[in-house]
Amino acid sequence: MKLGTYIIIIATVTCGAWAKVDLTTLPERETVQLTIYNSADLTLVRESRPLTLKEGANSLQFSWENTLIDPTSLDMLPKAYAGQIEISELVYPARVRNLGLWKIDSEVSGKVPVEISYLTSGLTWRAFYMGTLTADEKAMRLQGYVVVTNNSGEDYENAQTRLIVGKVHMIDEIAALARRQYPYGSPIAVPRAPAAMAAAPARTLARGAVMEMAVMDTAAAKPKEIVKEGLSEYFLYTIEGNETIPTGWSKRLPSFEADEVPVVNLYKYEEERYGPQVIRFLSFKNNAEHKLGETPIPGGVLKVYRNAGGAQHLSYTGQSAFKYIPVDEDVELSLGAAADIVVEPRLMDHATENYRFDSKGNVAGWDDVQTYRIKVSNTRDIPVKIEIKRNFHTSYWKLTNKGDCGAYEAEDLDTAKYTLVLEPQTRRTFEYVVRLYQGTRQEDWRK
Amino acid sequence: MKVRMSVLTAVVAVLIVIGAAEARIKLVALPERAATVIRLDNPAATLIEEERVLTLQKGLNKVDFSWKAVSIDSDSIRLTVLDHPEDVTLLNVSYPPNEAALVWEIASSGDYAETVRISYLLSNIDRLVTYKAIADKAETKVDLKSYLVLRNFSGEDFANARVLLDYGDSFEQGIAHEETKQMLFLKADGVPITKVWKWDSATLPWDAEKLNNENVGIPVSYRIVNDKKSGLGEFSLWGGKARLFQDDGRESTIFLGEDGSAVVPVGEKMELYIGDSRDIVVTQRKMQDSRINVRKNNRGDVILFDTDEVITAKIENFKDSPAVLTMIQHIDGQWDMAKCNMKYERKDAFTLEFEIELPARGADGPAVKELEMHYHRRNVRQ
Repeated sequence: MKLGTYIIIIATVTCGAWAKVDLTTLPERETVQLTIYNSADLTLVRESRPLTLKEGANSLQFSWENTLIDPTSLDMLPKAYAGQIEISELVYPARVRNLGLWKIDSEVSGKVPVEISYLTSGLTWRAFYMGTLTADEKAMRLQGYVVVTNNSGEDYENAQTRLIVGKVHMIDEIAALARRQYPYGSPIAVPRAPAAMAAAPARTLARGAVMEMAVMDTAAAKPKEIVKEGLSEYFLYTIEGNETIPTGWSKRLPSFEADEVPVVNLYKYEEERYGPQVIRFLSFKNNAEHKLGETPIPGGVLKVYRNAGGAQHLSYTGQSAFKYIPVDEDVELSLGAAADIVVEPRLMDHATENYRFDSKGNVAGWDDVQTYRIKVSNTRDIPVKIEIKRNFHTSYWKLTNKGDCGAYEAEDLDTAKYTLVLEPQTRRTFEYVVRLYQGTRQEDWRK
Repeated sequence: MKVRMSVLTAVVAVLIVIGAAEARIKLVALPERAATVIRLDNPAATLIEEERVLTLQKGLNKVDFSWKAVSIDSDSIRLTVLDHPEDVTLLNVSYPPNEAALVWEIASSGDYAETVRISYLLSNIDRLVTYKAIADKAETKVDLKSYLVLRNFSGEDFANARVLLDYGDSFEQGIAHEETKQMLFLKADGVPITKVWKWDSATLPWDAEKLNNENVGIPVSYRIVNDKKSGLGEFSLWGGKARLFQDDGRESTIFLGEDGSAVVPVGEKMELYIGDSRDIVVTQRKMQDSRINVRKNNRGDVILFDTDEVITAKIENFKDSPAVLTMIQHIDGQWDMAKCNMKYERKDAFTLEFEIELPARGADGPAVKELEMHYHRRNVRQ
């Protein structure tokens, strides 16, 4: 194991000087916990190390060459002897980089477990999904995965790995803080220092090691579970057991799996937004009825396949992206334009009437009366739900329906929405008449 | 040490005859710096006060004060006589050409080992304040720690100085040039917090559905009051970066977020934006916007009208805990509310604030509240 961070305890006699003398111990870290965020390049590292302290003043040197640690986030907490160990200050000495010196006043002498925490960049995680639709597209098997990547420059062995779903507010980038010449900057504008590490040194593991890891992984009876819990506005995923992720490596772990999630094939038509085409969505809800709903679903890319024929053959349907889906929220996954559902609006009649004139005899107001015929075809062999939105670009409108389309819903001040369900291989036609009040005729408009 | 001082004494008679120019000849004493104070009570500038003992002779004395590789505001340099203020008088200050130096001319009525205090503003030495707060799992209180960060890039090493802030006791601290020191200076456990969710119609998208597969995060803040009840309130809390953590109930913490705080005077609130909630969803729509009471001039042109506007907002709480959403709405111009189904406070002429209590998500789905505002804007001129 190569460590980027080092701890050295220096005896105190030298009184404040950071000369590297009287080296007493170099404690290994006993445990390490990683809490990795995905909304920012940020990981909270917490490690425990046993320190051997002397009674009186102690100096502890911590260095982090070739890592992406934010030095201003360094914190140390004794986990025993409450009140008897005081960490008086943390000094970032002059003319030395990537090094901090803790001054510790101890009333005890001997081994003291301490916890050191800091923020680092370079570790990331993302969620991605695989969906497999049944042949009739009424249900989908949804598999969620997380991929953890370590580019931090530090190998983390046997680390408890936790992932945070949520959007944290940051005012500085951790990577930028890690590259600073002076941890808290300088009151004088200093020329930019060369990057602390141009790139994490590419690490290659011996082939044998990879094989060994693979053997260990398959030796486990089942994939690791991820425990999920809500904290503040975030969700915390704790991966069972410990993980070893050397720098430069990524690891994929299954996050959840739900079989037979009932889905609705939803098609949307809105010229102003999608142009003259129908967009296909898969719609379901993140709730128990849909075999989900235990936790929110973090955002990520979804690849959708469909069972085709027997023998577990698949056909690739398309790619979509989840946004973050809270529990009980509707999910609409866009799968792109669809050619097998057709919506054709056609202006069938146009008339103007109810003219108003101003004092000079010019036209000041009138009504536009437009009749639209909308033809909807479902050429698929499954039933579909179609949402058609019509925008009128004015709030002075009145709508009357003709034909079999159900009632419209006023979406907002200038939009009406029709929702239809079409059986397989069917076609439906309906008409509406919209009266648009123009000019001074708007004064006569009443809701 | 880059600040140097030399005392030049000359007999008055010589000075009278030869004139002042030749006075810079004989180095009599190079007094060492005694007590040094670094005053950090003004965030804009750091005042250094140092005491030195000058060996003064009866008559006129010249004291040369020069500095190198440090930045001192020469107009800020003051000399205070401490032992014999009645008998020792500073007559004038002169600045030698092209030198970072000045010469004090001091008249003394006797031979004294006089302690003087020299004060000056030194650049590139300052302090920062940072905060670290750990909230409990229920998010009702935080353990607050504040750190003082001394940064010395002044060019001067301070082996041992007395550091003074704008409150509290002074403390001894040495700090070398290019050194940064971080020390704990405030610790308050169990400081009560209020968690605030804020949705502002002017800054946040109205309808997430119209965005391209993005979530609309509602900013979440912690509010801390700087008062006695909070275990604070003794002094203003300086502005600085605050990092917030939360106890996860498993002897560890998660990082909640960070924010910059301005100075918080006693009695005032510190509001720290930690992150965004995506479990509260607001969908706001304008359902009506039409003209009424239209008035026209003789030519028939519209010159004045009122409006008839309806805004609805659906607020859904998908969280498994209750929340209070602060919703800010803006209506420009002269307006009156025809009907509103929720109580609001008028923060100013054009801003309305709603406090909307949202229960936790239930067995049958999210907790939903719907706001409907029906208002008229009056006397809008065309």
